[in-house]
Amino acid sequence: MATVKAIEARGLAFSYPDAELVVGPLDWQVEEGAFHLIVGATGSGKTTLLRCLKPALVPAGRRYGSLEVFGRAVDGLDAREAAATVGYVSQSPENQIVCDSVWHELAFGLENLGIAQDTMRRRVAETGHFFGIEPWFRRSVDELSGGQKQMTTLAGTLAMQPRLLVLDEPTALLDPVAEKNFLHALFRVNRELGITVVVAVHEPEAMLDYATDAVELADGRLRSVAGCGKAKTPQLYARRGVQATFPTQNAARPAVCVRDVHMRYDRQDDWVLRGFDLEATAGCIHAIVGGNGCGKSTLLRVIAGVLKPERGRVDNRLAACQALLPQDPKTLFVCDSVADELHEWQKACGYDDSAVDDALLRFGLAGRATSHPYDVSGGEQQKLAFAKLLLAEPELLLLDEPTKGLDAPSKLTVGRMLRERARAGTTIVMATHDLSFAALVSDTVTMVFDGEAACTEPAADFFANNLFYRPAQDAFALLWNEQCG
Amino acid sequence: MRTAASKVRSDETDQTGGMRQRRVDAGPTAFDAFHPMVSLCYVTAALVFCMAAMQPVYLLISFAGAFAYGIVLRGPRTAVRSLAWQLPLVVVVALANPLFSASGSTELFRIGSRAFYLESFAFGSCMGLMLATVFTLFSNASRVLSSDKIMALFGGFAPTIGLMLSMTMRLVPQFVRRGSDIDAVQRACTAARPACAEKGGTRRGYLRSASVLMGWSMEDSLETAAAMKAKGWGAGSRRTTYRRFRFRRLDALALAWGGALVLVSVAAAVAACGQFRFYPIIEGVAPWWSYLPYAAFVALPLAMSAKERARWRP
Repeated sequence: MATVKAIEARGLAFSYPDAELVVGPLDWQVEEGAFHLIVGATGSGKTTLLRCLKPALVPAGRRYGSLEVFGRAVDGLDAREAAATVGYVSQSPENQIVCDSVWHELAFGLENLGIAQDTMRRRVAETGHFFGIEPWFRRSVDELSGGQKQMTTLAGTLAMQPRLLVLDEPTALLDPVAEKNFLHALFRVNRELGITVVVAVHEPEAMLDYATDAVELADGRLRSVAGCGKAKTPQLYARRGVQATFPTQNAARPAVCVRDVHMRYDRQDDWVLRGFDLEATAGCIHAIVGGNGCGKSTLLRVIAGVLKPERGRVDNRLAACQALLPQDPKTLFVCDSVADELHEWQKACGYDDSAVDDALLRFGLAGRATSHPYDVSGGEQQKLAFAKLLLAEPELLLLDEPTKGLDAPSKLTVGRMLRERARAGTTIVMATHDLSFAALVSDTVTMVFDGEAACTEPAADFFANNLFYRPAQDAFALLWNEQCG
Repeated sequence: MRTAASKVRSDETDQTGGMRQRRVDAGPTAFDAFHPMVSLCYVTAALVFCMAAMQPVYLLISFAGAFAYGIVLRGPRTAVRSLAWQLPLVVVVALANPLFSASGSTELFRIGSRAFYLESFAFGSCMGLMLATVFTLFSNASRVLSSDKIMALFGGFAPTIGLMLSMTMRLVPQFVRRGSDIDAVQRACTAARPACAEKGGTRRGYLRSASVLMGWSMEDSLETAAAMKAKGWGAGSRRTTYRRFRFRRLDALALAWGGALVLVSVAAAVAACGQFRFYPIIEGVAPWWSYLPYAAFVALPLAMSAKERARWRP
């Protein structure tokens, strides 16, 4: 290991204007060549800490203490050096892409630095080759999947040849397969190229095998975490499945019945759904699982009646009292504060103020009531959107990736609320990538493949019979079994 | 090619929340083999010719060429569909011209004291035809000169403008997609509907969608701005460009031959248009061979496409 640390912070602290310290004071060291994890709950200040490493991204506020990157004070780096030394990748695949085509996105950083064309072409070629981007090099970014977008961002950042790569929840919005791919690429970057990697995550399970060391950020302090690298072998995760705990309920008449639905977006397009059948029983939680782009979101919209199928029939008895949680919670936000957001439908739905306060408390948003919905973290936004829908007391809840960006305790809250609602008679259909959530919370699971319902079974049977597609024993599963099992 | 494209599009479903927009199908064009400068010169020459050579035969050649290449580029269905509004345009301009200019010698009819002449109608028809041709040429040009080619052409002089173009190309479809997404979610949440069903609910619904869209896009633009800064936007003294287009010998040859053809056509056109007149009587139509150079010029992209298609015919 080199004598100079990749990151060395002493007494580092940060506070936003007119607020208490968010982070620190803390000491923090990262060895050169390390794969360093920062674990922390949603809203614990991980992003703030990481952003301190990039002078261009430091939020408005005050920083105390010293912070050095490769032996040089961060403030002393000029814009050019800072951009070329520290690469930064954030959470959203959609928003951090600047250009319209993949090749331009890869070259963007190099263009900014004024790199000569020949060098630039070589570097882009190198990185494109390393990440296997060549087949979609000339595509428009709109055609890429989330995983490909994130990979493009990573490649564009690495084309600038940084020595330190900082990533803030890079896989939070990816499905499990894309997440694995991305992590594998990250692992290669670290081990093959020797680039120091620092990743902030709230769910470290998937990354623990890759990391060389990990720290936990809680209450603004860092604490080292044991159990990285070899301590836990991947086999252990794969072998130990999760036991589904809920028996199926039988109801006479399905609340939602989808028959032979055919759906596509353009005459020349492939079918997204071809002959899809589904029955959702009243008072049950029905999970829809399947790969990226298999038509889960489309199915939810067909059930909601927003999309009209080209062929087939949808009987939705609860169409008059339904709610849809979209993948991006921002779709639902109109007001200036978290509390106002929860009050928005008050007049229409007739719930009282105490219900709003109760929701704030239950979802851990009480401290954020006056914040703008866009200022709270991604996980909190997700919870806010969910709370807002629940206040409207829908009889049919359609959820698109309800656990996206949530940490284990938040998932537990959401899972419990869902069970509670189901017991009260609400029908719930959720599309999810989160297999352990589906296994523990839902009654019935349908797997979508090739536009059809490949199989529909009670959750326990479904996961018992699967060889490849089964849940891992993650933090949420442990927590759920501990508290609800 | 088409199936590959649609497969890619169906991968997109989950990230965009199931809402996908229809993309203009962008297949290869005959000009792709050349430097964008060649396409730009050709398109400019074609436009100038079409607007300057106000002579019926030249206009017909221009229109026939533009329409035929439109079929090649955008498919017969789209090309014919655009005729549906272009033909009425020609008729309207043809009928409107006699109202403004009462010259000519062949009187067709009179309304009150005002005479309507055949020559006037002919001139109007030619004007209409020119307009329709210009529209067709522009829609062809937008396919031939895609955004990355325009950027390669102008990116050197003004890299920021090139980048702005690239960002706009990305943001506009994103905006539209999100708008429809917001609308869909709003319609799907029927449990909260009473709010919208009130008086003035629809208008409020639109306002609501617009405000969500604005807030969302502005918030995202902050994130994009942070990503730009993280990648050193504004850090270097001068931006460079990753150009994919190199000006090769073939391009120079194409420009030289094309230029020669244009010069000959111009000479022929000047002579032909000089001796032609609409008023007072239509006369002075040049002999058939004087249109040959221009016809060849117009047929160039058609010939290139035909050659390419012939090569791939089994």
